[in-house]
Amino acid sequence: MSETPGSGAAQPPPAVLPIEIPSNPPLQPQGSAKTTRPAEAAGVLKLSAAELKKKKQAEKQARRAQTKGSGGPPSQQKGAPPKDGFKQVKELKQAAKDDKLRPMSARRRPSQSEVTVPEKLKKEIRKEPKQQGLFFGHLYNQPRQHSMVGASKDVHPAVLALGLQYSSYVVCGSTARMVSMLLAFKAVIESYSTPVGTSLARHLTSHHLSPQIDYLRSCRPLSISMGNAIRWLKDVIIKIDPSTPEAQAKRDLLSEIDNFILQRITAADELISETAAKKIEEGDVILTYASSSIVEKTFLRAHNAGIKFSVMVVDSGPLFEGERLARDLANHGLQVRYRNIRAASHAVRDASKVFLGAHAMMSNGRLYSRVGTAVVSMLANDHSLPVIVLCESVKFTERVALDSIVGNEVAPAEELLSESERQALLSLKKPEGSDEAKAGPDDVLKWIAGSDTQMLQVLYDVTPAEYINMVITEYGSLPPSSVPVVHRLSTNT
Amino acid sequence: MRPEVVSVAPGLSSFLKSLKTTPVEPSIEHFISLLKRRQIRNSRPCAIATTALLLRVVGEFKGRDAGKLVERIRQVGRRLTSAQPREVVVGNIVRRVLGLVREVVDENIDADTNTNSDFGHNSQPHHDSLTRPALASSISTFSPLKYAAVEPMDSSFHQSDLSESGELSKRPPLLASHTSYAPTSSAPLGNSLFGLFSHPDTPSTSSTPTGHQSPDSKGMLTSLNLERLADFSKTNLDLKAEVMDGIRELQDELDQSDDLIAANALDHIHSNEIILTHTASTSVQKFLLAAARKRKFTVVHAETFPHNHTSTHGILLTGKKRGDSGDDSEDAWKPLTTAGIQVVLIPDSHVFAIMSRVNKVILATHTVLANGGLVAAAGAHMIAKAAKVHQTPVVVVSGVFKLSPVYPFDIEELIEYGDAGSVVPFEDGDFVDKVDVENPLYDYVPADLVDLYITNLGGHAPSYLYRIVADHYRSEDITL
Repeated sequence: MSETPGSGAAQPPPAVLPIEIPSNPPLQPQGSAKTTRPAEAAGVLKLSAAELKKKKQAEKQARRAQTKGSGGPPSQQKGAPPKDGFKQVKELKQAAKDDKLRPMSARRRPSQSEVTVPEKLKKEIRKEPKQQGLFFGHLYNQPRQHSMVGASKDVHPAVLALGLQYSSYVVCGSTARMVSMLLAFKAVIESYSTPVGTSLARHLTSHHLSPQIDYLRSCRPLSISMGNAIRWLKDVIIKIDPSTPEAQAKRDLLSEIDNFILQRITAADELISETAAKKIEEGDVILTYASSSIVEKTFLRAHNAGIKFSVMVVDSGPLFEGERLARDLANHGLQVRYRNIRAASHAVRDASKVFLGAHAMMSNGRLYSRVGTAVVSMLANDHSLPVIVLCESVKFTERVALDSIVGNEVAPAEELLSESERQALLSLKKPEGSDEAKAGPDDVLKWIAGSDTQMLQVLYDVTPAEYINMVITEYGSLPPSSVPVVHRLSTNT
Repeated sequence: MRPEVVSVAPGLSSFLKSLKTTPVEPSIEHFISLLKRRQIRNSRPCAIATTALLLRVVGEFKGRDAGKLVERIRQVGRRLTSAQPREVVVGNIVRRVLGLVREVVDENIDADTNTNSDFGHNSQPHHDSLTRPALASSISTFSPLKYAAVEPMDSSFHQSDLSESGELSKRPPLLASHTSYAPTSSAPLGNSLFGLFSHPDTPSTSSTPTGHQSPDSKGMLTSLNLERLADFSKTNLDLKAEVMDGIRELQDELDQSDDLIAANALDHIHSNEIILTHTASTSVQKFLLAAARKRKFTVVHAETFPHNHTSTHGILLTGKKRGDSGDDSEDAWKPLTTAGIQVVLIPDSHVFAIMSRVNKVILATHTVLANGGLVAAAGAHMIAKAAKVHQTPVVVVSGVFKLSPVYPFDIEELIEYGDAGSVVPFEDGDFVDKVDVENPLYDYVPADLVDLYITNLGGHAPSYLYRIVADHYRSEDITL
């Protein structure tokens, strides 16, 4: 354990993956980690299950308060704007370079001043319990990690960087997250050396990979595809013959990962986009919601094949992923229309087909995708439009879901209000609290937190299977009811 | 005087202020320009401004001729509605005022015939049938099509006249009676179509069997000539005053409709309910507040980005709608949260995900149409649809003044499109150049997605709305 080199900056990984290690050794911020959690110290006294939740919320509040108190530049909090959602490793590298430019500690929620926190904390604790718990109370258990502060020392720098990109939505989208995770894991495996007395097959998974996964999970809950990939990777590692020399085993693993990406993503995408592009006919108006890499690929393929069709991108805040899709498509010369989800009922009227990307396909045939997909497919179904889901089989899961509430991912509420919206609200506030002469946008958040208003935001919803006419996977086109079959097929091979 | 008021803050409040000092004609022009520039928008401000303007129009009206008054209001109404056809409420109010005039005339006639019948006791049915046609024909000059309906009604008019019939049954016979008497008169066509203005006395002399009628009852036949009657009939003296009273009542109705609607709140909201609503609506907020006084529940509020979200946020936090600064009464009420109601703000995309937990959907509306459908802020359709799919009841809260006799033959016609720059800012020139962006402001929600309408008259099924429309608008006025 002690000689695990993964986390040290002193021993950079052999650079197959072009992720650079940030200049600060990750050990350093860990030192300050102890001071960041005053709430923990205060709340240790009695921690029943209910108290635990309160404490977590308080912690969040405290962090928020600290951000305000220290006057950290708010523009830096978000890292790169999520709109520019990069998907490939290339960009990953670029983002990692960004990390180098600014000191790590200043990048996110600086946590220095904590003098005023306790009083504030108490007040907020009293108020909090009935908030948040309404719909997704069960999902608020884990406050999202926005910094590498407090990360285990075993976490590889590549993974640390990736985690930050997850939490700031720089790397966003189920496929992109999975691929980037696997690439990061390649870096982890490359720099791994088995400690004396254990075998790679036993040690790598449980002792070396799991801290990485835990860290990624703390940054943002794992996507279904990531879960699938992790399961597969662990399976592969376990199956490594203990007698294989370490170097050989690592090489095998790396090529296995490459193969996995090639087979399950690259080739699958190729197959899917080929099939789906055939579904696009001359004069079609294809409606899509938010952004999906595979849907984009399909559009471009059909466009390159010379089919004249137009695309209707329906989008919704706060991520506005569709905006980027619309931009890309328009830059490729497609005719693109862009609508807000509010105008979905109008958009559906003009459309002839609906193509949707997926976060995951549930075993009961339901589609788990970006929140809003269900609304769009409901309206499309109402207009008797064919709803076609494009989804690699790696995103299929044996999990089932009936509604969007039991399993979902809660996004931080403060993301719901953009900077400009906060400014707009500020003018409303002034007549009431005249004492605050120069209130910043953050005060609006405080104000909202102070009232009984809760901003709720989740990232996914579940589309009933009856709205989906077809799922196109690399195994072919099938009805949503065949999802479990394909899932079995794809996991057994 | 007026220009500087306008330059300060064009809108409802400045208009109402200027209305007091400006002559009618410039005021109409002013209102038209405000409507066209969308400086007065949304149902309530439009309704308030229209009633205030019509009050002025009626007040300034010279002469006592009801027909001319009707024509005047109608003419103003036509100009207003053509200035902004999508603010259906303007047309509604004009129709309501027209109905008022007719009602006043009707009442006067009824009163007269009653006094007359004391004298001419032997000819009660004839009086009825004689007096009403006058009104009907004066109306029908505006819509010649109505004559087509004359013949079939012919047989039944006596019956319906005698019975204490409602407006609907009363009106068709009014048209018919003239022709029914026409054979006895020398110039039947002249009577019904053109003779109203030129030969006011002929029908009465020729068709009245008793022939001993007082001069005023003769004149009553041709109520277009009310002016003539003024000297004789005391009831006609206050036609204008009565209409103006009626308009003031209408204003009161506008003021009170929210409170009257809110009075129903406790019948529809029970404890611990989860209620979903959208956009910033005074009616809905007051409705919820009224319920909040007695019960605790949770409100889920869809923010309707990007058109209304700031005012939605505002209404949640301050309880005040932005831009409504002119309306002082609004300042009095507080945000829901101060009433102890937990409010959850969600983006519009979450509607489907949340709907399974929602007990009731309460929608605000822009206009309610005669078939029970409604035009509401964009997003309403998907909310109503999602509610339908989840079998969640959809309640629409609306004042009666929003209820329009317009039938939605062309839905697209009713939908207004707003500034696309609020979806994608125009600074993003590259994007705006290449991509077609639209921002519809309204949605049409068909009647079958709505379970209940709550108006200031109470709760109604969507299928019953046609009846309320019939109660509030005279069929003669439906086409302005």
